[in-house]
Amino acid sequence: MAAISLKAIEKSFGDTSVLEGINLDIAPGEFLTLVGPSGCGKSTLLRILAGLEAPSSGDVLIDGRKVNQVRPADRNLAMVFQSYALYPHLTVGQNMMTPLRLRDLSFAERLPFAGPLLARSKYKVLWAQVTETAKILQIDHLLDRKPGQLSGGQRQRAALGRAMVRKPAGFLMDEPLSNLDAALRIHMRSELAELHRSLATTFVYVTHDQAEALTMSDRMAVMMDGNILQLGTPDEIYNNPRDIRVAEFVGAPKINLLPGHLDSNGHARCGGVVLTRVAATSSDKITIGLRPEHLSLCDDTDPEALKGRVVHKENLGADIYLHISMKDGAHRLVVRAAPLDGVAVSIGQDIAFKRHHGAAMIFEAGGKRIGLDNNAGTAVAEVA
Amino acid sequence: MPRSKAPYWFVGPALFLMFVILLLPIGIASIMSFTNYSLGNSGAEFVGLENYEKIFTRSTYEKMFGATFRYVFVVVPLSVGLGLGAALLINSTKRFGDLYKTIYFLPVMAALIAMAIVWEFAFHPTIGIVNSTLERGCGTVLEVWGWYAHGCERGFPLWLTDRDYAIWTVAFIGVWQGFGFNMVLYLAGLTSVPRELYQAAEMDGAKSAWDRFRLVTWPMLGPTTVFVVTISFIRSFQVFDTVEAFYPQGGGPSKSVYVMMFAIYEKAIQQNLMGIGAAITVVFLAFVMFLTLVQRWLVERRVHYT
Amino acid sequence: MSDTTLSSSTAVGLPAFRFSAAETLKHVVLIFGSLIVLLPFYVMVSYSFKSPAEIMQNIGGFFGAQEAFRDDYCIKLGKDVADCMVTPVIYNYTTAFEKAPLIRYLLNGVIVTASIFFIQVLVALPCAYALAKLRFWGREAVFGLVLFCLLIPVHAIALPLYIMLAKVGLTNTYAALVIPWTISVFGIFLMRQFFMTVPDDLIDAARMDGMNEFSIIWNVMLPTAIPALLAFAIFSVVAHWNDYFWPRIVITGDRSLFTPPLGLREFKGDADGDNFGPMMATATIIVAPLIVAFLIAQRRFIEGITLSGMK
Repeated sequence: MAAISLKAIEKSFGDTSVLEGINLDIAPGEFLTLVGPSGCGKSTLLRILAGLEAPSSGDVLIDGRKVNQVRPADRNLAMVFQSYALYPHLTVGQNMMTPLRLRDLSFAERLPFAGPLLARSKYKVLWAQVTETAKILQIDHLLDRKPGQLSGGQRQRAALGRAMVRKPAGFLMDEPLSNLDAALRIHMRSELAELHRSLATTFVYVTHDQAEALTMSDRMAVMMDGNILQLGTPDEIYNNPRDIRVAEFVGAPKINLLPGHLDSNGHARCGGVVLTRVAATSSDKITIGLRPEHLSLCDDTDPEALKGRVVHKENLGADIYLHISMKDGAHRLVVRAAPLDGVAVSIGQDIAFKRHHGAAMIFEAGGKRIGLDNNAGTAVAEVA
Repeated sequence: MPRSKAPYWFVGPALFLMFVILLLPIGIASIMSFTNYSLGNSGAEFVGLENYEKIFTRSTYEKMFGATFRYVFVVVPLSVGLGLGAALLINSTKRFGDLYKTIYFLPVMAALIAMAIVWEFAFHPTIGIVNSTLERGCGTVLEVWGWYAHGCERGFPLWLTDRDYAIWTVAFIGVWQGFGFNMVLYLAGLTSVPRELYQAAEMDGAKSAWDRFRLVTWPMLGPTTVFVVTISFIRSFQVFDTVEAFYPQGGGPSKSVYVMMFAIYEKAIQQNLMGIGAAITVVFLAFVMFLTLVQRWLVERRVHYT
Repeated sequence: MSDTTLSSSTAVGLPAFRFSAAETLKHVVLIFGSLIVLLPFYVMVSYSFKSPAEIMQNIGGFFGAQEAFRDDYCIKLGKDVADCMVTPVIYNYTTAFEKAPLIRYLLNGVIVTASIFFIQVLVALPCAYALAKLRFWGREAVFGLVLFCLLIPVHAIALPLYIMLAKVGLTNTYAALVIPWTISVFGIFLMRQFFMTVPDDLIDAARMDGMNEFSIIWNVMLPTAIPALLAFAIFSVVAHWNDYFWPRIVITGDRSLFTPPLGLREFKGDADGDNFGPMMATATIIVAPLIVAFLIAQRRFIEGITLSGMK
């Protein structure tokens, strides 16, 4: 278990700045996910942590020790690569043995042919460690195969095995599931989370898939353009995004965003919608965010009903998402409907729906979230 | 699609030429190797295995095999090794890589016959640039080397006309000419090694350049090496231009550079002994085909590699 | 590539000077290698500039002093001494062209390499197309034969080929220089591999447009194959421009059929001390076209020459 700290990490390649002063503390035994769109710098950050890349400035600390000058192999971290990076000419067993051999054997003992004869007992011990790890991952029957003869999922396990076998203080994973097919990917999510619990080791996990981040991590850091926009538990990130980019990135289908403005009393308005809560500041242009599940179908006599026409229907079984074109034609919203309600709706139909009170998020023009307050001085009568 | 004759029209000419130009000559050579045929004579007698017997017993042909194998077993390892070395060095330097690559590739482009003539000048015992450069080193620390001191005292070797040096000098030119080609193949091989493998090796504790080479580079270059070695073998077996340029008659001092292609040329074309020439051709073809088949077998065995 | 970036990024632990020392050492080795590689090119070009005296005494640096010297041959012709003073570089290059029909040799080289390439494409392209895209009885057998023929180096079967050509009386003709190379199994193999990657839809679309198979080859497949064809052209031209062995066998005596390498060889055969300069000039002229083309389009050339590595 290792505590990892990144202090003011900056990295630039030539003139392009990739990381702009990242500060991050990772607790021992934590599952932390770095998530963001491609090119946000998350993989570079992971590589800096691993020691494969040197930061332009800033420090990397592992258990309080500064490791900037320490080589990757000596940081006691293991890495699982996106392409698995298994040595294609070695069997799974030999692949898993490689880190042990390089760490525990002397140069002479590593020589081909002569080495295994010289240090027979050592090789036995190492091999025992390999088989033990392989049993945990249920790949002990594959130890004699070469990576080329394995399926994607099996390669994934072999790569995990190579990382686990030397019992590192922390695991670094660079999009390890992105080369698997959809069903296996979802299955491996829970398996990795279980593995994390049973190993009780620090995991730093990089992904561009917000669903992976939400389902697996203790905390997640949403990165964009070389900065961490928000760091928090998946729950916080989803329900309380601090930035419009975070709100947009996390959640599928995407959050609905409507342009609006703050009136003189601090109420947010967008067309016919006026929120009861008020903002402390007053800025002219704002964006109102409403997640699909914050909208639901209602009777068109409801005073709060909004009206629109269904243009597309996504039936996911458990939920039905209705894409609705608003009456003014300018906006499209996605509304989640329960299967029972949604089935009856057909495309092209006019429909009424309403928002849930207190769920809307307001963002200022720059993208920052504006805090809302229920104790407004003057209550405004809602107009539908 | 209606059945059409078109494919046969397309394949026909190629098929015809393949038979006439590639397969028929092999047949002719095989048959002729059992005769004492010579051009101009009306008939030829069947002599059985006599030609082959000569090849494997007479001292001339012993010299031929000796020279050929000496040449091949110097040129192949050196041109492969230097090709790999140059590729690794060029790949690991930050600057001027392309410049070195261009320079090392120049000999591949230049007509070997022209360059052979230039080398002959360079190796000229008295006015050649090689010996005059060596002489300039006399009186310096280089004389610590026994060979060098001996050269300064008694004169440096005659190189191409020296019985002890001739074959090695010709082999040197072969290496000079061929290693750039191997280098380029290795450079292509190196670019196809996934970067993540080096990073994985680094994480696994391969700290020295040697460890990384053993764990990643060398195994990943396996298929390239198989190809480079085979093609180097075939090319060096076929050495002719330099030998003919230096020794138009007789194959060098004491026939020490009497390589197979030159033997075929001398026996069959110059001396009109077609039977023996054909027999050497058959032996030669057997070598080359065997090597190529070994290569294919090695490559196929590695199919599971990716 | 990978090694480069990795070593630089992992060098964080090492003091900076050690790294640059390693880099310097690499350059020392590479430069030493370059010197040896360039040595004969230097000798060739340098000698082509120098006077016989400078060559014999090994003086004059790279360009020589370029002092006019007396051309003895000219004096033998009975001309005035003043008319016979020549500048070495001009003497060398003019003699190269005057002493032997060098222009003719170069022209022969162009004719032979061009016709070889032209016929190779003419034969290989339809065959490759049929093997890649048409289904017909015996296709597998033909392809198997192509694979087998890849094993045969044409130089190795030069002797029976020579006898066949001699029997039909074709030695000492252009045909003798060209015929053995008309079939390039390697070209067939290469183009077939390339055509395999061309989508069937493209061919079907052409058929729908009413093209017959023959026009598909020349109007559809040929244009798409230009990059591969260009690489093959370089491969073929370099091999046959530089080829010495085969012309040496089939062209005996008739100078008007000499290719550049043969011309140079003959020059060497009757060279005496005075002719070293002109001979090096000839060598330079023969080597120059490919070297210059290579320097201009390096990437394409390296691609073309290493094509055989694609097998």
